[in-house]
Amino acid sequence: MQLHLEGSNAIKASADRVYSMLTDPGFVAKTLPDAEDVRVLDGSSLEAKIKLRIAVVSSTLRMRLTIGKTAPPTKATMTAEGSGSGSAMKITSVFELSGGPSTTMRWSADADITGVMAGIGSTLLKGFATKKVSEIFTSITAAVEAAA
Amino acid sequence: MERLFQASVDEVGKLIGLGKSELSILEDADVAADELLVSEYEKYLERKYNPEVPAVLARHNLMGVPIQERYGGRGARQLVESLFLERLGQTGLGVITFVDVHLCLGSLAVQDWGTQEQKERYLPGAAKGDVVFAYGLTEPEAGSDPASLRTTYVKDGDGYRLSGSKYLISNGSIATNLIAFARPADGKGVTAFVVDTSDKGFSVDMRLEEKIGLFTSDTSLLTLDDVHVDREDLLGEEGKGLSLAYAALLNGRIGIGSGCLGVMEDCLNQVRERTTSRVQHGKEIARHQLIQRHVAFIESNLEACRWLDYRAALKKDEYEKDLRNLALRADADRLSAVAKYMSSRSAFESADRAVQCFGGFGYSIMSPVAKHFLDSRVARIYEGTDEIMELKIASSVLGREFEAYR
Repeated sequence: MQLHLEGSNAIKASADRVYSMLTDPGFVAKTLPDAEDVRVLDGSSLEAKIKLRIAVVSSTLRMRLTIGKTAPPTKATMTAEGSGSGSAMKITSVFELSGGPSTTMRWSADADITGVMAGIGSTLLKGFATKKVSEIFTSITAAVEAAA
Repeated sequence: MERLFQASVDEVGKLIGLGKSELSILEDADVAADELLVSEYEKYLERKYNPEVPAVLARHNLMGVPIQERYGGRGARQLVESLFLERLGQTGLGVITFVDVHLCLGSLAVQDWGTQEQKERYLPGAAKGDVVFAYGLTEPEAGSDPASLRTTYVKDGDGYRLSGSKYLISNGSIATNLIAFARPADGKGVTAFVVDTSDKGFSVDMRLEEKIGLFTSDTSLLTLDDVHVDREDLLGEEGKGLSLAYAALLNGRIGIGSGCLGVMEDCLNQVRERTTSRVQHGKEIARHQLIQRHVAFIESNLEACRWLDYRAALKKDEYEKDLRNLALRADADRLSAVAKYMSSRSAFESADRAVQCFGGFGYSIMSPVAKHFLDSRVARIYEGTDEIMELKIASSVLGREFEAYR
C-alpha cells in the first residue's frame, strides 16, 4: 500500500536553527510522540519503538530513522523503516526550509505499508497518517520554538 | 471529488443539469465526508456515538441541505439531496442515520406540514445545527404497525400532555426536538407533536449501545411522562399524524437508499484496492475469477440501485411541484419503497461479498468493509422492513384492496 502526503509548517526560528535541530538525531529522539526505548545510534540515525494507536487498537513498530543532510541548510531527508504487530512500514520524506526570520518547512513523504495495517485501506490510512504527521510536526515545531 | 461520486455527479448533471449552488453543496459534501472518515472509524471501533458528525456538517453548512433558502437552508431538490447522501454514505450508515432522521424525517416534516410559525421557529436552527431532530414513531409494542402505538395525549388547558415510551429512536439522546406521535387517551386517530427534549417529563431512559452495528449513531429509549406541549406544537392536523408519518418515511426511504449507494461505492473501492494489491498463489487475488464474480456483483448492483434511487428522487421532485396530485404521490411512494428495498439489500450483500474478498482480515472489525457489513444490516429493518416494503410494492401493483396489512 503506497501513500503520499505533503504539507508545510511555519516555525518561529531561523532556517539554520531549524535545520541543525531537525538533522540532529538527539533532538529528533526527544520530540517523537508515542516513542519508547529511543536510542541514538550515531550522528545520523536512531531507533525507537513507535506506538501507533487507532481508537482502541494499538500497534508497536520498531523503527529505524536515518537522517540525510542533502543540502544544508535548506534540504534534508529522513527515512523511517521498521516492522511490528504484523505490519511493516517504510517512509521516505524530504524537508525543504525557506524564509526568515521565521521558517517555512515544506515536506513530502512517501510511505509503503504492508501487513495488517495495510488492510484498513489507503483512504483511512491517509486520514490517520495525516493526523499522526500533524501531531509529529506540532511536537517538533513546539520543541524547536522552545529551544530557539 | 471522490472518483465514483464524481461519476454520479457527472451523470446526474447530464440528466437534469446541476446549477452552481447545487454543485457547491456536492463539493462541500465531498470535503465533509473526507473529514468525517477518521472519527467515524475511531468511534465505530470504540462503539460510541460520533459527535463530530453534526459539528462537521454544520461547519460545511450541510445541516439544512433540503431546507428552503428562506429558512437558512440550501434549498436542494430531492435528487441533489440524494447525491449529498450518496457521498456521505461512503463513510457509513452511522452518518446517514443521523442526517436522514434530522433532515428527511424531522426537518422536512416541519417544512412540509408545519405552520408558518413552526417553520420560522425550527428550520433556521435546524439548518445551522442548533436544532437537531429525532423522530418518535416506533414504540416497544409498535414497529411495523405504527397505528398500534400506545403513547397518548390529553388536552391540558391550551395545550396537551403526552405520556408513553418511544423505542429505538435514532438521535434520541442528542436531539433538541422530537417529532412525537400519540393518540388521544379517549379516542382514535394519531397526532404529531414537536416536543422540546428539555421539557419536564422528557427523559432518555436508555442509550441503546448493544446493537450489532451502527455504533456511531445514537439510539435511545425515550420516556414521555406527562410532558406538556403547547397547542402551537401540534404538527399538521389533529388526527392526521399517520399521514404525516408516512409522508416523512417517503423522504426517509429515498435517503436510506441514497446512503446505501454510498456504502456500495465504498465496498467497491475497498475491494478494488484490496484485491489488486494482495497476492496469493503468485498473483493478485483480483486475477482469480471467483473474486471477479464478487466485484461484478457489487458493480452491477450499484449501477442498478443508483438508477432506482435517482428515479425515486426524480418522481419525488415531480410530486413536490404538484402536491395535490395523489397519483404522483402514490408513484413516488412506490418508487421510494423499491429504491429502499433494493438498495438496502444490495448494500448488505455487497458488504458481505466485500468481507469475503478481504478474507480473514474482512472478519476483523478493523476492516472497513466489516463496518459496512455490520452497519448496513439495519437498513433492511428501519424505516420499513424488507417485508413491509414488499407488501407496499405488491399492493401498489395489485391495488389497495389487496393491501395485506389491512
